[in-house]
Amino acid sequence: MTAAAVLDTRDLERAIPGVHVPAPPRTGESQARESQTREDQTRNQRLRGLVDTHIDFVARVLRNSGTPHAEIDDEVQRTFIVAARRLDDIRLGAEKSFLFRIAYNLAAHARRTAARRREVAADQAPEQVERFATPEALTDQKRMRELLDGVLDQMDENLRATFVLHEFEEMSTAEIAEALGIPRGTVASRLRRARSEFRERVAAIEGFGYVDREGQG
Amino acid sequence: MRDPVRLRDEGASALERALLAAGTSYRSSSETRTKTLAALGVAGSATLLAGAAQATTLGSLAKMTWGKLLAAVSIVGAAAAVPGYYAWQRHQTAKHRASAPVAVAVAASSVEVPDWLSAPAQSEQVNPRARRGSINYAPLAGAPNDAPAHAVRPVARPSVTLAHELSSIDAARGMLARGDAAGALARLDAYGRAYPHGRLSLEAEVLRIDALDENGRGDVARARAAAFLQRHPHSVLAARVRTRLGD
Repeated sequence: MTAAAVLDTRDLERAIPGVHVPAPPRTGESQARESQTREDQTRNQRLRGLVDTHIDFVARVLRNSGTPHAEIDDEVQRTFIVAARRLDDIRLGAEKSFLFRIAYNLAAHARRTAARRREVAADQAPEQVERFATPEALTDQKRMRELLDGVLDQMDENLRATFVLHEFEEMSTAEIAEALGIPRGTVASRLRRARSEFRERVAAIEGFGYVDREGQG
Repeated sequence: MRDPVRLRDEGASALERALLAAGTSYRSSSETRTKTLAALGVAGSATLLAGAAQATTLGSLAKMTWGKLLAAVSIVGAAAAVPGYYAWQRHQTAKHRASAPVAVAVAASSVEVPDWLSAPAQSEQVNPRARRGSINYAPLAGAPNDAPAHAVRPVARPSVTLAHELSSIDAARGMLARGDAAGALARLDAYGRAYPHGRLSLEAEVLRIDALDENGRGDVARARAAAFLQRHPHSVLAARVRTRLGD
């Protein structure tokens, strides 16, 4: 009712230039409501800013942490819904780390669920032959994506997280240490191992393709 | 403690660069963004939809430091590594054909990726599904895959329809926030008529449950909430509905 009255007053002022209709005296209730509205607006602005600034980061973390492609949409939404519930706990400047932790946990859950589904499907589903094998079925990018998924899926979870944050998100070791809650020295050693594994596996793919690293054949 | 150099700046091979580019170039879709804002109830308005995406891109570009700008350029370069890798590989394959015809015959046929790459090989037995990971280089050499580079794309605008849908939902939410539950319900009815299979229909239903409850029709709200949870138990909105149900 109050909102309708305010709107009518504004309409009147717009319709008749120069006319100012004094606002009705504010009651305790209306003051509380205005204060709540301001708080909601501030909160909504912060949430919107989080989405606009970090949605690609969240999507990449989910994808590179093994979330099935078809579930990225839902998991992105889930990440921000969880963040919205805990908005007051997110320290200014630490949004990225906070979102990473949520997304990473959701990705782990999605990965486990997908693995269970694959086990069931392997028992029940008829054989699917060469579904992705023809070049017509895959673009170059998808091919690379599948290869990358294969490489990352073989990494230990801790190494993978460090690798993803450093190589794809270009976070510093200090930022990674904060996001993962581990010392910087541990980040550095995990990163060394992750990179070594990555290079070994890529070299193996290149070996299978009969093209070595220097392209000497 | 100095930060280690990124792999791609450290003499990575062509395939390594292409794989790193694949990991870097992933972006969320504009629809994901829209749905996320709708799920959070912070969509704002249609103006936000129309302008924010590009404004954000341009705005953030304007605020970029040189370091970030260089990083962005390097991402573009890295994204271009994928077709670059294939071009390089075709070149190498051609070289192989000239120098080692026997090997080329093998390389040109379907090449199996090792088991550990072709996903969940959990036993030593031959798994026909593992063949899904195979790469066929031969047709690739002739495939028209040279362009286009997978450069960083600007955030696409959502479709007009989706923008209108979001605008309707947003208006209903605004009414509910102002205490006008009946108005919100009328707006949601209009949304349902205009978009019987709308992409934001789940968001609309959850909002309707809220509005019904606020409008003193708690029984109907609870019945719809229970039906929602039965139909969409794993929806991202399920938690909100459960809260409303008091679960």
